[in-house]
Amino acid sequence: MIVLAFKNFIRSNSVKIGLSFLLIAGIVSLFVGKQFIEKQEQNITETAAYQKEYIARNVHHHQDEIGLLLYYLKFAFVNETLPINGLSIGQRDVNSSIQSLTIRGLEAQKYDADLNNPTNLLLGNIDFSFVLIFLFPLIIIAFTYNIISEEKESGTWRIVAIQSKNLFLYVLRLFFIRFFGVILVLFFILLLSVFFLKIPLESIFFSFIGISLLYILCWFGICFWVASLQKSSNANAVILLSIWIVLIIILPASLNNYLVNKYPVPEALSTTLKQRKGYHEKWDTDKAETMSRFYTHYPQFKQFPLPDKEFSWLWYYAMQQIGDDEAATQATAFKEKLNQRNRVSNSIAQFIPTIHTQIQLNEIAQSGLSNHLQFLEETGKFHEKMRLYFYPKIFGEVPVNSENWEKFKVETFKNPHESGGLQSYLSLVIFILLFGALGWVNFKKSIYQV
Amino acid sequence: MFSHTEILIAKHFRNTAFRNKAVFLLTIFIGLLLIYAAFSGWINFQKQNEIRVKYQEQARKDWLSNPDKHPHRMAHFGHFAFRPKAPLSVFDFGMESFLGNTIFLEAHKQNTVNFSEAGFSTGMLRFGEISIAMVLQVLLPLLIFFLGFSSIANERENGTLKILLSQGVSWKELIVGKSLGIISVVMTLFIPIIVATILLWALLQNMNISIDESIRLLLIILVYFVYLVIFCVIAVLISAISKSSKTALTSLIGLWLMLTIVLPRGSQALGAYLYSTPSKAQFNADIENDILKEGDSHNPNDPHYKSLKDSLLRVYKVDSVQKLPFNYSGFVMAEGEKISANIYNHHLDELLKIYDKQNSFSKGMAFLNPFMAIKNLSMALASTDFASYINFQEQAEQYRYEMAQKMNELQIKFISNKKPAVGEKPHAIDKKHWEEMHEFVYKEAEVSTVFSHEIISIFAFIFWIGLLLFFIRILSKTLKAI
Repeated sequence: MIVLAFKNFIRSNSVKIGLSFLLIAGIVSLFVGKQFIEKQEQNITETAAYQKEYIARNVHHHQDEIGLLLYYLKFAFVNETLPINGLSIGQRDVNSSIQSLTIRGLEAQKYDADLNNPTNLLLGNIDFSFVLIFLFPLIIIAFTYNIISEEKESGTWRIVAIQSKNLFLYVLRLFFIRFFGVILVLFFILLLSVFFLKIPLESIFFSFIGISLLYILCWFGICFWVASLQKSSNANAVILLSIWIVLIIILPASLNNYLVNKYPVPEALSTTLKQRKGYHEKWDTDKAETMSRFYTHYPQFKQFPLPDKEFSWLWYYAMQQIGDDEAATQATAFKEKLNQRNRVSNSIAQFIPTIHTQIQLNEIAQSGLSNHLQFLEETGKFHEKMRLYFYPKIFGEVPVNSENWEKFKVETFKNPHESGGLQSYLSLVIFILLFGALGWVNFKKSIYQV
Repeated sequence: MFSHTEILIAKHFRNTAFRNKAVFLLTIFIGLLLIYAAFSGWINFQKQNEIRVKYQEQARKDWLSNPDKHPHRMAHFGHFAFRPKAPLSVFDFGMESFLGNTIFLEAHKQNTVNFSEAGFSTGMLRFGEISIAMVLQVLLPLLIFFLGFSSIANERENGTLKILLSQGVSWKELIVGKSLGIISVVMTLFIPIIVATILLWALLQNMNISIDESIRLLLIILVYFVYLVIFCVIAVLISAISKSSKTALTSLIGLWLMLTIVLPRGSQALGAYLYSTPSKAQFNADIENDILKEGDSHNPNDPHYKSLKDSLLRVYKVDSVQKLPFNYSGFVMAEGEKISANIYNHHLDELLKIYDKQNSFSKGMAFLNPFMAIKNLSMALASTDFASYINFQEQAEQYRYEMAQKMNELQIKFISNKKPAVGEKPHAIDKKHWEEMHEFVYKEAEVSTVFSHEIISIFAFIFWIGLLLFFIRILSKTLKAI
């Protein structure tokens, strides 16, 4: 019986169009994702080639002074892009996944923007998360808005009501058939993605599927509830579209405005200004004081006394270091502000399934703000590591040739998988149960009304 | 201008529309949303500009407070340019959130414009922002569709259409009348919005309103009016050709989704897919290679600088650069700055050309999609588009170049050619010179530039007006009552 009903459902023209639309959009999103991943890989290859050539050229030019050489040398640090990133590009198109740093002041380099076409950012990617969050609900709405109302309007509901033993089960079955059709497309796209994007079948991918499934169920819950209100097809369409607009456009956009105004980030500007001043004014202040602050920061370098010269690289790098040190308060406040934004938006998102799903998919694909903040943190550690490696060599004025420069390759930050745990599913599950229960209660009361 | 019948139909439509509770609620809701949009646009403008002005002044103060020093140190001390928000950004946020606002200007190096709002954002920004423009562009057309889907289809379903037509009302009068009816309903939202925008905009500029800004605002009012009228007519036409109000509603909803959600992304994604941009590493490497080809100032045997040196020595009839009557390394740096700035600008132009190609699909899409036409034109008029940003970036680069060359000039003029001996103080010049470098002041482009940047969008509007007039004419002749 149910198989027959499904066959009947799938045979309808509008259903075929709806499902093909999702399928095509899904496949397009995989191409977009694939191109994004390939572009990331290409960027890394180009950066690696550039770094190699750049280091070799500068080593050739600055044979005598290792301090001067390291003024120029840049070392790249890469935020690993997982294949699953192709499904949810998130913030990775705004925030660069590659940092190229000298061992000079960190705060002056860490926030350098990537090159990108802002129109692409403004209009947005067609990645899988867009197809899932924006387009799937539309098709779900199109499949279910007239599920009972149409039968009522054409007068067939009366017959169904008499013939069916359990009318509620009948309604559930109608929903289940549509759910099954949609899920089939979802799984097909995700299956394609496994081959196309070479996504390994590991726990994060299954979490990704889990969130996607719950999100779709959530929309079926909403449609189920609206159907239970027993309104006309036109009214259902308007109500469901309004819910879609509120959840996808109005609420997220209003919240975004709110967050931007509530948590502005002047710390970004003060950090840069402070760093510049902190470093540059040391050229004109007492050298001994600069050095004593440097030695306090790094007692291990006390063994290198300041040479009796007008200029020395020890003094130069000490000045750079103090620039960072003086901007530390601002930089910490900056970081804290971004963390705060991240926390607040994550907690508000729990009440809005669309934003919650987007943020969770970004978290899983490591393309959200959390990942970026983590990357910035690790960038700082990488920079410190390079500094500590080169400082003694510069201060000890070791010959440039004593170093094997070929060994400085691009380094990669691998963000450990942190599953959001049950917490990340919970909010969606609550929504599903809520709408399911509301719909059930309504149906119990009014299902036999004609 | 309009016939008596048309006005009668319009008035009737308007009266019934306002009696509909759903329309009433929806209008109130959109009204509230507009108030929120205006409010948050205002707060954002105030806060952001306050921050940027504050740090611009701070940066200038830092510059001026430098003691006597070598001018080249000053060239590296550098300056900052903070991009101010345009007054009309209160109305249309445009690309603002995706554009950086802080650039550090120093010698030898073109830095990136950093700290865009998007960089600080969680995934939320990707759902969009609420600005007055966004409500007008996205939500009002939907309201129009909700208002208009049944305008004629319903008359057809009820059989009143036959009566109307048999009473001598022509199809053209019906279409025009119904469109006027929807327009008059929409105007009850549009007119207050415009009044509020004008007030906000005037207040934010402390009533110091330039002619240029006023023209921008007037044009904005005009194009949005045309935009909304286009949607009113589309709603009535679709309703006229639909068999039932249900088909009219579903077609209009589908159309709205295509126009505002699917096509804009789709067309831009296609552009981005077809034209690939270089990575930052590649972009920088290309610039560096070109500079090296032109002349490597670090290489003592570089032919470009060697011939420069030789010709100087010949002209001044001396045998070493130390004997030149001016500072030789300042001269070399001035030359280097000139070469590198030219090469950088050339590469940036090439990059911008690729961006233009990427954007060409979504721009051209305006002929299929009035939403793209208004989006691009509105941003341009509000100075929140990419062209305005590039204008800022160019002015900042111009300032950077002037600053670097000014410091080179001071070095050439006032710094001795001899290196200070051991124990001697390093070369420095008096701090009074720092004031000679004027402060960076961003000048907004004139409104006339909008016409050249957005000519496609303007033509698209004209095309749409023509197209709809054409359809009204054709359909008036071919439509049937049943």
